[in-house]
Amino acid sequence: MSRPDPVLLEIVSAALVSVAEEMSVTVWRTSRSTTVRELLDYSTAVFDAEGRNVAQAARMPVHLNSMELCLQHVIAHHIPLEDWRDGDVIVTNDPYCGGQHLPDFIAFKPVFRDGRRIAITCVLIHHVDVGGGAAGGYTASAVEVFQEGLRLPPVRIVKDGAMQEDLFATILQNVREPETFRGDFLSQIAALDVGARAMLRLADRYGVETLEEIGAALLDHAEHEMRAAIAALPDGTWQAEDYTDPEVPGGEPLKIAVTLTVAGDAIAIDFTGTAPQARGPINATMATTTSAVYYAVIAACGVTATVNAGCYRPITVTAPEGTLVNASFPAPVAMRMLPGHKTATAVLKAFAKVIPERIPASYYGTTFNHAVNIRHADGRRQVYFDAELGGWGAHPEKDGPNGLAAGFHNGQNTPVEMIEALFPLRFLRYGLASGSGGAGKMRGGLGIVREWEFLAEAGLLNSAFDVFDTRPYGLDGGAEGAGGSLSVTRDGETVQLAAKTVGHPLKAGDVVRMQTPGGGGHGDPAARAPEAVAEDKADGYV
Amino acid sequence: MTTPRITIAVDIGGTFTDLEFRDAVSGRSHSLKSPTTPDNPARGLTDAIEQAGARFGFANDDIALILHGTTIATNAVLTRDLPAGALITTEGFEDVLEIGRHARGDIYALKGPDRSVLIPRRHRFGASGRIGAGGEEVRAIDFDALDAVIERVAASGVMATAICLLNAFANPAHEIAIRDRLLARCPDMAVSCSHEVSPEIREFERTATTVLNALLVPVIARYVDALRLRLAEAGIGAPLYLIQSNGGAIGLDAAVKTPVKLLLSGPSGGVLAAQKLARRLDTPDVVGVDMGGTSYDVAVVSGGVRSVVTQGEIDGLPVRVPMVEMHTIGAGGGSIAFVDPSGRLQVGPRSAGAVPGPVCYGRGGTEPTVTDVNLILGRLDAATFLGGRFALDLDGARSALRDRIETPLALDPDHAASGILAVVNAKLAASIKFSLFAKGLDPRDFALMSFGGAGGLHAVEVAEELGITRVIFPRDPSTFSAHGILFSDIRHDLSRTEILPLLPESADALAAMAAELSAQGTALLDADGMAAGRRRLILTADLRYAGQAFELTIPLPDGHITAGTLAEMRRRFEEEHRQRFSFDDPEEEAELVTLRLTAVGVLGDGGDAAPDYATSETAVAKTRQVHVNGAWTETPVHRQLALPPGAEVAGPAIIEQEYTTMLLPAGWVLTMTPSGDMTARKDT
Repeated sequence: MSRPDPVLLEIVSAALVSVAEEMSVTVWRTSRSTTVRELLDYSTAVFDAEGRNVAQAARMPVHLNSMELCLQHVIAHHIPLEDWRDGDVIVTNDPYCGGQHLPDFIAFKPVFRDGRRIAITCVLIHHVDVGGGAAGGYTASAVEVFQEGLRLPPVRIVKDGAMQEDLFATILQNVREPETFRGDFLSQIAALDVGARAMLRLADRYGVETLEEIGAALLDHAEHEMRAAIAALPDGTWQAEDYTDPEVPGGEPLKIAVTLTVAGDAIAIDFTGTAPQARGPINATMATTTSAVYYAVIAACGVTATVNAGCYRPITVTAPEGTLVNASFPAPVAMRMLPGHKTATAVLKAFAKVIPERIPASYYGTTFNHAVNIRHADGRRQVYFDAELGGWGAHPEKDGPNGLAAGFHNGQNTPVEMIEALFPLRFLRYGLASGSGGAGKMRGGLGIVREWEFLAEAGLLNSAFDVFDTRPYGLDGGAEGAGGSLSVTRDGETVQLAAKTVGHPLKAGDVVRMQTPGGGGHGDPAARAPEAVAEDKADGYV
Repeated sequence: MTTPRITIAVDIGGTFTDLEFRDAVSGRSHSLKSPTTPDNPARGLTDAIEQAGARFGFANDDIALILHGTTIATNAVLTRDLPAGALITTEGFEDVLEIGRHARGDIYALKGPDRSVLIPRRHRFGASGRIGAGGEEVRAIDFDALDAVIERVAASGVMATAICLLNAFANPAHEIAIRDRLLARCPDMAVSCSHEVSPEIREFERTATTVLNALLVPVIARYVDALRLRLAEAGIGAPLYLIQSNGGAIGLDAAVKTPVKLLLSGPSGGVLAAQKLARRLDTPDVVGVDMGGTSYDVAVVSGGVRSVVTQGEIDGLPVRVPMVEMHTIGAGGGSIAFVDPSGRLQVGPRSAGAVPGPVCYGRGGTEPTVTDVNLILGRLDAATFLGGRFALDLDGARSALRDRIETPLALDPDHAASGILAVVNAKLAASIKFSLFAKGLDPRDFALMSFGGAGGLHAVEVAEELGITRVIFPRDPSTFSAHGILFSDIRHDLSRTEILPLLPESADALAAMAAELSAQGTALLDADGMAAGRRRLILTADLRYAGQAFELTIPLPDGHITAGTLAEMRRRFEEEHRQRFSFDDPEEEAELVTLRLTAVGVLGDGGDAAPDYATSETAVAKTRQVHVNGAWTETPVHRQLALPPGAEVAGPAIIEQEYTTMLLPAGWVLTMTPSGDMTARKDT
């Protein structure tokens, strides 16, 4: 382990995290879409000269823990580091070039001092639309990634400090909301510049060699803590599985099989036995899967250090090709959060066999992304994109919180009033789904119900939901959480829709209702404290 | 009968009640501290006034005005000592308060966070009726159903009720109807409506703020009653105003209606004082830092004006009312230094607090803190700490440092101790840099003003870290808040949300909104009895590019609102956007989200009150060994109150006074100003 001065290490470490935070604030305050500004669906990070992640702004684990994989893929297969020039910005959204799904554009900017590359800054933003078969990029009917929208290999969108306008115009021509896309993208570039300037100041202050040495030491320290936490676990091999909903109604749930091996200070996670890749877009590439595993292992090990790429070193992830969690080109992957979340819950379920006192029952199980292509009477078009969450699984010592971001996702909801001010929707209900939390000594958190009336002339509803047929698991005798549902009521008649709905037509007056799952319970429900039972009843939680 | 000439400022803290007053005739001011009386803080207030009158020779009839900063609301929230309340929402949205905004802080925690929901689900009730996004009535209230809801509220036995309906910021009619009906049934209920407390878009923030307000009404009402009673008993007839989070004063009747606006009453005094001192020293750009035992508060005064934000947070609860902008991190004298499981040196945010406190307090603390390190490095003196009333255990501090830091990290004692200070100073500097960064400002353009008991030992080194070349130490940091409060004016912040394109054709709509707000502001100042010449109405607008989440607050040009006004607003917005975010976008549509009016009623006579300063101690030549600039140095130690106006002290030096100690490293020169405040400059 390299050993720079421990004092300087802390000072520079804090400065590196500040760089990521400054980039994060820049995106937050200048972006345009509700996706970024209300849902906070973006992340920022700083890499060393070789592309190893040294600092992150705490935001979205699913992004943060995959950025390095993407960067390393770009370097190894597309643009070798020696071809990165001062003034370049390289961007990609291609799941088969290290990305996750097409709406996520990952942009990198190398930072040079005196001709020497000293760092790379990175900003990932989920853009509101990327073309393809459905608004928001969630084309449930897609069978190839080509149907999911514009796919950009790693390219220089900015060269020598100048935006490549031809390329940018091409991108904007292929998305549904070019103005919003443009605003968010410019904010992404601005944040990369903010990060680059901050890194240059650090280089001037501490010297390039010191920065390098400290970057390496930060990775070593994180690795050290991670290995110590793993070494405290018993050695052995454990298996667990969790499921996503069947791909077609009436089919079999799709298994995600995990084999967890703890050997000394290293952990191996293998997915042999996982279902073959799906025909539709409910697949994940290794970037998503690995990121879900990193999240679950870091959380289960209770590591408190600043998370960086050093935490990843003791973890090996393997998955057979052509499976749900390691899909082969050109499988569609827009709904990669579905297998991604279940990858995380399956890994945690395996850990529940090792350290049952630290692992909660399953949370709601996916991010409930949905979008509506809207056509107004005057011909104007809009895309409404939103996401909803559900209840947490109960922890051995605590009830699961109701309606709160969990797992490898983290984000805010969009205020109802903001939605109504911008889009032709009127909400009828936004509340907790009584009785949806799994019973247990500790109760699972409640899922959420949202119900709105569509006000525009015509719309197409798209959803990327899961956990309608499967259920968030309980642990130690706790019950499963309730599943989710989606329905539309027209003229008094209610139609249940599939979790993955594509282009369901809406007209003015239709009422859309969605319910998200509650978390699983923990422990025998009969052992629940009588006061807690009484309170649940008084508050209508059960 | 003489004209009342005395303006009194009282800041009641946990231990001391600080008072400063100004005599309009002599132009002089004086301050004193007396003990806080926790069972009835009002008694401490009148005690302090009586003491001041006796000592400085004024009678109750001489008092023109009393301004009062209070932590009553803050403490009630921090200790959750709040009455039971009910919430009435639009039917179907009873859970908005609990759901909040979803995002979690610790992304790797598997045990859920504790969420503070101030009103349980059983006391949240849905009412019929619906207002649309444009303020139109979509569905009328069903009064029979409403009466049933009101019966349930009445039966729940609560003292306070918040009413927050969807889109009430656009049309308050339903909230008003429900309030009237509720008050008719429960005349003693404390009722708060969201359109009055926080009439802005985003239902969760508005609900949370309204709920907090409703629960604070009984708390503040009780306190105001006690104040009135005590003042009457003491024979003090002067009007009393409370200080709000925005730094402005508010009359007692109005304060009882919107107590949520008092939550940052205490800290805003310090920021007001920083603003006043910045102007007095002709240094318009100042970052004020208040370092205490556990936290470090950063506030910005730019162009002579304190920065105010429209939303903040207290103890994890969002509060959306205008307040002085304050960025807080967990770093202070009590911050603990430790080696984490990965083998890295960490300082804070864990704090030893008051109990057990730093190791050197000898009250059972075992982990070394920032204060311990300052003692070990000779920056604090065991003999003079807090006026020498308090013996410090230097050996204990040293052995804690050895066991917890030096040995595990294989560092020598000096390196370990100075390293801890370097780490904490870097954190303090980062928090300042971040506060300024978010506004597109450069620390090098600012002076650092340090107040708070623990800040003096860190301020100059933090300034060095940031490239700041001027540091200001107020003469008496221990009564600084009271000094700031003394110059407060009445301030009512009003706002109205309506999304309007920032285009010339919006002029009529904007003018109508402005007229409506101005009428409200004028009515409030009428109620305050403000004379015409003492009124100012200031209009600002929150502007953004269409679809952005965050708005920039831009002042409106003076005069009638015309098409030209809109063009000028656009120009100002673009300029500010460029300054803060280093880009603008002239092709993009911009929009107005919220129009704001600040109605000011000027209370003071505009005169300054630089307190009289003359030396009150005798200089004694003294030195001690201090670790400064990387080495142990025999360092001169000065008593602040022995330095005459104009005196200059070159670093390295220590300047001590009763409540705080200041460190001046080599390369800096400190000057005593005529007012007794001190400015340190980097010697270039």
